[in-house]
Amino acid sequence: MTVGTSIPTPTAGTTSAASASIDKSLADRLAAIVGDRRVLFRPSELLTYTSDALPSHHKRPALAVFPGTRDEAIAVVRELALGKVPFVPRGAGTGLSGGALADDVVLVGLNRLSRILAIDAENALAVVEPGVVNVALSRAVAAFGLHYAPDPSSQAACTIGGNVAENAGGPHCLKYGVTTNHIVALTVLLPSGEVVKFGTADGEHEGYDLVGAFVGSEGCFGIAIEITVRLSRNPEAVRTLLGDFTSLDAAARTVSAIVATGIIPAALEMIDQATIRAVEASIYAAGYPTDAAAALLIELDGANAGLERDVATVEALCKANGARTVRIARDEVERARLWQGRKKAFGAMGRVSSHLVVQDGVVPRTKLPEVLAEIHRIGQAHRVRVCNVFHAGDGNLHPNIPYDASDPDETARVHAAMREMMQACVKAGGTITGEHGVGLDKLPYMELIFSPDSLATMCTLREVFDPDRRANPGKVVPLHSCREWHMAPAARGAVHTP
Amino acid sequence: MTVVAVDSVGAVRDSIREAASRGLGLRVVGRGTWLDAGRPVRAAGSLSTRELAGIVDYVPGDLTLTARAGTALGEIRAATAAHNQWLALDPLGRDDGSIGATVATASAGPLATHFGTPRDLVLGLEYVTGSGTIGRCGGRVVKNVAGFDLTRLLTGSWGTLGVITEVTLRLHARPEADQSVAVPITGDADDLTRIREALRRFPFTPYACEVLNAPLARASNAGSAPIALFRLGGNSEAVDAQRAALVEIGEPADIDGECWTALRAAEPADAFVFRLSRKPAEIGSVWTEAMSIAEACPGTLVHARPLRGVVRCVVPASAAAAEALRRIPASAPTARIGERLNPDLWRTSFPPAPREMDRRVKFAFDPDGVLNSGIFGELE
Repeated sequence: MTVGTSIPTPTAGTTSAASASIDKSLADRLAAIVGDRRVLFRPSELLTYTSDALPSHHKRPALAVFPGTRDEAIAVVRELALGKVPFVPRGAGTGLSGGALADDVVLVGLNRLSRILAIDAENALAVVEPGVVNVALSRAVAAFGLHYAPDPSSQAACTIGGNVAENAGGPHCLKYGVTTNHIVALTVLLPSGEVVKFGTADGEHEGYDLVGAFVGSEGCFGIAIEITVRLSRNPEAVRTLLGDFTSLDAAARTVSAIVATGIIPAALEMIDQATIRAVEASIYAAGYPTDAAAALLIELDGANAGLERDVATVEALCKANGARTVRIARDEVERARLWQGRKKAFGAMGRVSSHLVVQDGVVPRTKLPEVLAEIHRIGQAHRVRVCNVFHAGDGNLHPNIPYDASDPDETARVHAAMREMMQACVKAGGTITGEHGVGLDKLPYMELIFSPDSLATMCTLREVFDPDRRANPGKVVPLHSCREWHMAPAARGAVHTP
Repeated sequence: MTVVAVDSVGAVRDSIREAASRGLGLRVVGRGTWLDAGRPVRAAGSLSTRELAGIVDYVPGDLTLTARAGTALGEIRAATAAHNQWLALDPLGRDDGSIGATVATASAGPLATHFGTPRDLVLGLEYVTGSGTIGRCGGRVVKNVAGFDLTRLLTGSWGTLGVITEVTLRLHARPEADQSVAVPITGDADDLTRIREALRRFPFTPYACEVLNAPLARASNAGSAPIALFRLGGNSEAVDAQRAALVEIGEPADIDGECWTALRAAEPADAFVFRLSRKPAEIGSVWTEAMSIAEACPGTLVHARPLRGVVRCVVPASAAAAEALRRIPASAPTARIGERLNPDLWRTSFPPAPREMDRRVKFAFDPDGVLNSGIFGELE
């Protein structure tokens, strides 16, 4: 092992305070904790870690370290704390906001911490390490008739730790809630190396909701090294419907009509024509009608009793709002096929172009028709192809634009279109991210929705967890929003008497 | 003690800044219906949000509503009922309490069994921190991960980090059928275990399930013996099937939905109130503990929420009851959380136990210790 000797010497102009302290001796000390093979530093080895699932952002870590146990993770973070070295925690790297990119700092990969520590079926709880893959947890508890509800499209690869950091969503979050609604307790490794516990599974807990504050903190508050999740009971019955519409507007109105009845579908997804055609031309073909302007994929679940009544109500609402046909999956095979088209839509679009950007705006449900029309207009104005496939039930839009990143003109048009789409969501009373997180990608839009004081308060909270701002630096809140705390650092944390 | 009722977010900020500059503490009050819960607050005056009231925005099609903090729950109920919707939140007490205080204390009632607590229903907030900074967090949409989650941090923080001035809430459409059913039980710990087991097996989660001891059943117009009250919702076919399933627990009989209002309003103004909890599977043991308290303190009203593992005790206040409660030792692993007590009991028997991180958060948001200092234990 020759750690360090071949670490590139920082060149003039790129030298930062961070890279200056990331040297051979740090690599050696980290290798002493995790083993030689678990510290990567050669550019070729680090290539995998220069982006996440969003291809528009690239940053190269100075080095990457992969602890294999909880104790190793603690030792690594304490070592980094000693040298005041900035770091970025990373799960499976399936994020869609550039949040897990390390710009010349240390990347701490948590994917090896992949043990399910406990399953308490009686209380519907599980305790996991952060590197447990989302779907692996559901598989492990299936025998008890339970599952872990949040189901991002990347669930076959993404990790629970990453889900916690991003407060990940998924199609079934309409009824069952997003990640934060399913996290009961956390053991958190603060950037200082301190280990703290938030929340409890043993009855109620008084005190600030630091579990709630931590979930969705995008790696800026530290690393969740032990996660207690609430499991959900598998539904007794599931029905999946596909409504076929000749206009986006009619499909959007149907969404509001369904929700107004009080029926809460397990999922309510919209797929537009461009996406349908990409899916149908791919190996993930799901039998969607290629001449439809939009399709609604609707899932209803729960107790058998009364479910068919709800299915009939939803079917009638689709037809009353102009659906040409409503197909109801007859069996599990057909149901899985309908879902495969939705879940693999990104993959299908990957065939269309070399690159794909995904947006994640949210609008009030009643604004869907006008915002979809505006997104269409923006796409045409910038001559980019927009594919919409999204969680219509909660107004969470995902306009996707396939493009060729090697074409600077097209790339510029894509970015201009993305920005206008974000502005349209904000103007409609919505927000800039529903489930992907801010990361790097949405950072420029934070000031569209939050006042300087609101952003400064977020910085105040961040400083409680990470006073040195070393964890995932430069993400979530624009740096200039973080004005210096009005007291000198030395006075912080001092015993205070009012 | 002076009470200042402010009518704008700017006035909230000014009051906080003035108090900070004079080194004084403020007690933050909503509509004052729940008063101070006997919690030991160090304050020279009160800041009331009761004039900061009214619904700001309500779009029925979006199932979201924004209201100023001092808005009474009853006003929200009336406005949403007109559109066949509701805020599925029924904290113990009456509907003249404010939404701001409900959110600040994360208070929930029987509907929490199905709909969760304010932490699950609040979408966004406007607040003024102890440093006098006005900010907003969350938003008016149902799904939102933009920025750090101050919404959850401030919800349930008892006004110690910031004064909540405006709240955006997730509403639900009213179901086709909403039926209340009573099932007589013996009131043994085994009943609680049995009910929880049955609920786990059922393919549905009732809107509410509360098990009442005899005194509370009487006070709730639900008979004179221990009883399990269920609230079932959904389409009529689903509700019929749910009602039929309850046979597994006992003999279900329809009961007027007013029983929930009566249950919420049952407790005397002058009572010691606290909750006991463990993991839900241990609800039987928690119930036994509550029953021994009820035996030592005659007239105690007890209700359990089996799916959440919580039992709540309402002990009529008296010197004898206070003495009895002082003598009952905390029995780990049961968590004991006080709601309303006298200052002595807060100190001796139900001391809030803030952790180091709580202290750091408090200091960051309220460095001068202006807001509700002491209410949440000794954070400063």
